[in-house]
Amino acid sequence: MIITKKRDFKDLLENLKNYKSFFLIGCSECATLCGTGGEPELAAMKEALEAEGKTVTGTLHPKTGCQTLGTKIELKKDKEACNAADAIIVLSCGAGTQSAVEIFPDKPVFPANDSLFLGNMTRFQMFDERCSLCGECVLDKTGGICPVTACPKGLLNGPCGGTDNGKCEVSPDIECAWVRIYERMKKTDQLEDFRKVLEPKDWSASRKPARLNTREKKEEKK
Amino acid sequence: MSLKSALESGKFTVTAEVGPPKGTDIAKILHEAEELKGKVDALNVTDNQSAVMRISSMSFCKLLLDMGQEPILQMTCRDRNRIGLQSDLLGASILGIKNVLCMTGDHPNAGDHKEAKPVYDIESVQLLNIVRALNDGKDMMGNEMKGGTDYYQGAVVTPEAVPLEPQLMKFEKKVNAGANFFQTQAIYDIEKFKEFMQYARKFPVKILAGLVLLKSSGMANFMNKFVPGITVPQELIDELKEAGKEKALDAGIDIMARHIKQLKDEKICDGVHIMAIGAEDKVPLIMERAGLL
Ligand code: SF4
Ligand code: SF4
Repeated sequence: MIITKKRDFKDLLENLKNYKSFFLIGCSECATLCGTGGEPELAAMKEALEAEGKTVTGTLHPKTGCQTLGTKIELKKDKEACNAADAIIVLSCGAGTQSAVEIFPDKPVFPANDSLFLGNMTRFQMFDERCSLCGECVLDKTGGICPVTACPKGLLNGPCGGTDNGKCEVSPDIECAWVRIYERMKKTDQLEDFRKVLEPKDWSASRKPARLNTREKKEEKK
Repeated sequence: MSLKSALESGKFTVTAEVGPPKGTDIAKILHEAEELKGKVDALNVTDNQSAVMRISSMSFCKLLLDMGQEPILQMTCRDRNRIGLQSDLLGASILGIKNVLCMTGDHPNAGDHKEAKPVYDIESVQLLNIVRALNDGKDMMGNEMKGGTDYYQGAVVTPEAVPLEPQLMKFEKKVNAGANFFQTQAIYDIEKFKEFMQYARKFPVKILAGLVLLKSSGMANFMNKFVPGITVPQELIDELKEAGKEKALDAGIDIMARHIKQLKDEKICDGVHIMAIGAEDKVPLIMERAGLL
């Protein structure tokens, strides 16, 4: 899921200083699990804004904020509240925020969160980055542990000289990705693969902005 | 004599290291380099060592060439992508630089520009492959070039890494990628190093044992605690302690000279790489005590 963190409320207020009334949009998916865009956060945001003398014309907790079309349909019932707002505040990730930008062509839209990474939830509201969406997966060659993400240098051919008793040179809080890979591949009897040289990555596979169309009949999005 | 000829002649080869300074005042490093002239076989020039921004390795290598010395260009993958690395390799080649040491490089987090974007588009094993391609007159994409390079390429290895096996597997990747010589991370336990050499001798590469000058027992303890892959045995720490504050550096010089002598006399490896870390002026004295001068 996409991991988000609340932005500093003071910074948000600075964004909002020229506006009085707002419509708030959260998200039922990742942002809810991160505690940044669920029902409680929408209510808290409403309260905090009202305490600053602002008006909240309405809130929506859409099913999936980054699904632009679905969110647009859900917003139909809030048409009046949306019209009454000077600006929109989105409590989800940067993708959800930009759904709103697309839905509201003539209203300012502001993000309430910073979007951090694609994460695994390891425990309730604890997240680890395991995949950085490089576009060309090497997990088949690295024992299922991603060095592109777990090694701060993204090395592809084994540990650097900074590896220290299983810890990474960058921080003792990081387990050396290549020691983890080695130990796992040893257990799974895949060390022969460890010996194979991985070629330089094809970074064109993650060129921005990425786009994918998997419809049967390939049609260009209008 | 070139580093390649020195190593291939079977001579016990000595390399040392200089670190270009931050800023354009190079009086001190020029003096150090001058002192080492004619004594060491080649001089490594570090590449923004410890991720601290300094004068580029290539520029100082060129000054060494002009002085009639044999430089080893250290090249890390931290600051340049594959285009920059290849372009600099070609550039260094036309300046007359013949030796390159391919390394991954310390993470920016270790240095004085912690907010820098680390590059690591390529890493050490891949860089060795790239050097081999350039030597064959092709770039890494296989495009023909007008004129190739003629590098003698080296790499680094940590003989006391924990765990050791993945480190050795990477060492073998580097050998297969065309490394001709290796400079090791600092070693202090010669018996242990012999075990590494027994393994390394199976490969057609030259090995220079890395030696870091111990300046005090405090420094030794610090390295044991904080520098990955380095272990200073207790008896050496005691030796430094017993020498007392005034004489500790002298004791460190003795230890290194003794190690060099043993490595040479017992033909354990092909040479040594001396890292004096700020005491480069002591290198001739170390060599003298080791019986090399
Ligand atoms: S290799 Fe790429 S796609 Fe695969 S897990 Fe790592 S970052 Fe994700
Ligand atoms: S210590 Fe391990 S995880 Fe850290 S940079 Fe080196 S190889 Fe990567």
